[in-house]
Formats: sequence, structure tokens, C-alpha cells
Amino acid sequence: MFLRRKDMLPYLLLLPSILLLLGITIYPIIYALNLSFYKWGMTSGEPMVYVGLDNYSKLVSDPEYHNALANTLFFTAMTITLSFTIGLMIAILLNSEVGGLSIYRTVIMIPTILTPVVIGISFRFLYNYDIGLINYFLGVVGLTKQPWLGDPSLALPALALVDVWEWTPFMTLILFAGLQSLPDAPFEAAQIDGASSFQRFRYITLPLLKPAISVAVLIRTMDAFRWFDTIYAMTKGGPGIATETLSVFTWRHGFLYFDMGYATSSALVMLFIIELFCWIYMKTTFKRERE
Amino acid sequence: MMKGILKTLFTHVILIIFTVIALFPFVWIITNSFKTRVQVFAIPPVWIFEPTFTNYADLLLEGDFPSHILNSCIITLTSVSLALFLGVPAAYIFDRYRIKSKESMYFFIFTIRMGPAIAFAIPLYLICNTLGILDTHIALVLIYQTFNLPFVIWMMRGFFQEVPSEIDEAALIDGCSRMKAFFYVVLPLVKTGIFASAILSVIFSWNEFFLASVITRSVARTIPVDMPAFIGLTRIHWEKMCAAGSIAAIPVLFFALIVRKQLIRGLTLGSIKG
Repeated sequence: MFLRRKDMLPYLLLLPSILLLLGITIYPIIYALNLSFYKWGMTSGEPMVYVGLDNYSKLVSDPEYHNALANTLFFTAMTITLSFTIGLMIAILLNSEVGGLSIYRTVIMIPTILTPVVIGISFRFLYNYDIGLINYFLGVVGLTKQPWLGDPSLALPALALVDVWEWTPFMTLILFAGLQSLPDAPFEAAQIDGASSFQRFRYITLPLLKPAISVAVLIRTMDAFRWFDTIYAMTKGGPGIATETLSVFTWRHGFLYFDMGYATSSALVMLFIIELFCWIYMKTTFKRERE
Repeated sequence: MMKGILKTLFTHVILIIFTVIALFPFVWIITNSFKTRVQVFAIPPVWIFEPTFTNYADLLLEGDFPSHILNSCIITLTSVSLALFLGVPAAYIFDRYRIKSKESMYFFIFTIRMGPAIAFAIPLYLICNTLGILDTHIALVLIYQTFNLPFVIWMMRGFFQEVPSEIDEAALIDGCSRMKAFFYVVLPLVKTGIFASAILSVIFSWNEFFLASVITRSVARTIPVDMPAFIGLTRIHWEKMCAAGSIAAIPVLFFALIVRKQLIRGLTLGSIKG
């Protein structure tokens, strides 16, 4: 009896957490899954109508959904590529044998921890055509002003640049931590063998840094894919739907049109894609721990 | 020798440029929060001016903003306390005990943390609407567990892993109960971890915008939800937005400085021990 009670203890302590998480995530997802089979304009006063998989087939053929998907992929690809490239260069500089570099590590993390919606609105101000500082500086160096967030072809790259600004320090610090943990021996051996510094980077640093790189890229991909705050604060998906990502598309159908069935089907597709990434992430990080 | 000096110079110049770009928007927001409305709109920008505190005074002495600061504090502190209270023991058990299908539970917790907020937001909004708890503190405190609780469990499991289980066993042999061993022997050894998890959860909760904007209207409204409201249709309050943004940023900066050593570990859910 005593032993059995003891064995129950771990379950008793886990139970509240698991129950709470089931209540605020799994139950809502089942609720959403059910809802995604209905057509329901929440504010229209009309009853819910069962439509089967119609919401999902509507997603497949909706050009606005294709637009949101393409924007999300562009946004994610641009921010990951740029923040990774710049982040790696800065991390290598931070890792060089030069004195007085630790102060930079503390200061550059500021963009990453600031409230994202504050960042979004600040950049909306900076990008402003008339009073924004970016156009002012362009004018100072003799370039023409750009309607950054007003031009459909400029707005999405402009938003992605804000994301690059916000998250490059994060990339830098992860890659720096990775560089710091590299062993010295292979580098010394390569130096003795006469490898050039590029060869050492290409054939020793990059392969050894792969775990840190995969963590950074996967976490950032999942984050960029679901990103909402700064996009909402700067353009709400506009002009038109030029900067609408999957999150904003879902938000618009859910909380502007109250077309809850359609919005949940879109949200669940997003969830599925991110779960897939989580699975890859777990495979890569856990494989590393076992080795 | 010459090459060494050049290298030092080059490294510092590039890093200074990078740091200036990283800091400039933030410094500019703080500067603007001390300007008058006319100065904020001036082009070319006014660099030297006599600071005014009217933006802060307007925000803090009239209107709803003070109550939104209070809401942010209440919701952040309650939700982080709840996450620690439930999450720290759960993490300990995840690390120490053999439990059926533990790894799949653990994977489930991770996927919740990384899931898109919008996927939870629509059903949670409808459920809160049915329960009549939209725009209440308790609704947001519970909903914030979708990211705080998984985060605490993941972070703390990593810290418990660093404490050898021989320590618990020694305490048990010395006659401690399991509870006592956990509270008096193991917990003090993971103090840093609890502290870092708490502060990072505070930062995430304080900054959270999307769920708060969906669940709250006026009574439980938090600071981030206020931000877009300064840019209204009729009048654009850049100067007040800058003051409000600075108020939102100060605690976060302060906390981030305290946990700067654990920041990367926290942002990668323990995958990188930076």
C-alpha cells in the first residue's frame, strides 16, 4: 500500500499541468476541428450549417489564401536568409581574439526582447513617407523618398527587414554560443597541415556548427511562419492584401469577418505545418543528445 | 603587429555599426517620448531640444493607461506564478521518474509552445465567450499557460538534468521524504534556473499582444493592446505612443539584463546552453 502510494506521487504532481494543458489546447483544437466543418457567420445571426470539407476545399482554391501562403513563404525565406547570413558574420567577429567585445553581446540583444508591437509601430513611424527618418536619411544622401509601406511591391520586403532587425541579434547570439563551444584541436591540426582560413571555416567550423545552425534556423522558421504582431502593427496586411501572411489572413476571416468556420480551417492547416517542423526539430535535436 | 591592430580596428568598427543599427530605433523612440507634438513631426528631425515630460504626465495622470499598466502587472505576475507552481514539479518528474509515454507527452508540450497563437485564439475566444469570461484577468492568466507552462517545463527539465540524481538518493538515504528531498535539497540547486525561467516568462507575458487583443476589451486590457490605439483614424499620437512604448520597454530591458546569460538558452527552449 505504502509503495503504491509512493508510485502515484509523480502522476499526482503531473496531473494538474497535463489537465490544464489539455483544457487550454487540446480541447480548443478539437472544438476548432469540429467548427471547421461548418459554415458559421458568427455575427450574422444565421444558424451553423454543416458543410463537410468545403472550408478546406475553399482554402485550396482561394486566390487570397494562395497570396497569404506566398507572402508567408517569402517573408520567412527573406528574414531567415538575411538574419542568418548577417548573424553568422557578426558571430564570427564576436568570436575573434580581440579585446573588449563582451559589451556588444549585452547591448545587441535589445531588439529581440523589446515588445514586438512597439517595434512594429516604431517602424511604421520610421517608414512614414513624410516624417519618417528612413526617407529623411535617404534625402540627406540624395536618394528619392520611397512610400515604404504604401507600395504593394515594397511593403513586404520592408516588413521582412524589420524582422531581420529584430531577430538577427538572436541568430548572432546562438551562433556565437555554438562557436564558443567548438573544440580547439581540429583547428590546430588544420593549421599545422597548412589549411587556409577559408578552408578551416568551410570544412571545420561549418560542419561542427551544424547543430547550433539547425536549432537557430528551425526555431526562427517556426516563429517567422506564425508571425503576427509587427505585421499587424505596421500594415494589418495592407496595402490591399499585399503583406497579408497566413496569420493575418486567418485573423481577418476570424476577427474582422467572423467567418469562424473558414478561419479555423486555415488556422488548423497552419498548426499542422508547424507541427511538422516541430517533429523535424525534435528529430534533429534529440538525435544530437543521444550521440 | 600592424595586422593585429588593423584586425582589432576592423572588428570594432563593424560591431559598432551593427550595434548602432540595433539600438537606433529604440533610442529614437525614447528621445521622441520627451518631445512635444510639434517637435516629433518636425523634418529635419530635432536632435537637440529641451525635454518635456508632458507625454508621460498625460499618459499616467489621465485616461485608462494606468489601469492597463496595472492589468499587465497582475496578469504577468499571476500567470508566471501559476506556471512555476505547476511547471517546476512537473519538470522534476519528467526528468527523474519513469513514466509511461513520457517522451510523447514531452513532445506534445513542445508543440504547444511552438504552435501558432491564432490556432488557439479562435476556439479560446469562442469558449471564453460562451463561459462569459471575455475581458477578464483570469481568462488571460489561464490562456497564457499555453506558452508559459510548456516553457517552464522545458527550461526546468534541462536544469534538473544538471543535478545528478545521486544527490536526491543521498537525501533519501539520510531519511528525507521525497517531498523534503525535492524542496530542501534539489530546489536550492536549481535556483538560477527557476529565476531565469521566471524572468523570461515575465518578458514573454509582458510583451504578448495577439491573445490579449483577442480576449480583452477594456477591463483587462494590457499595455501592448494599447499601442496600435495611439495611431487612430482621427488623430495620430506618435509622441504619446513613444512614451507608452518606453514605459512598456523599461521593465523588459531591466529583466533581460539580469538574465542575459540564460537568454539564449531560454529563447531556444534549452537546446543551446549559451
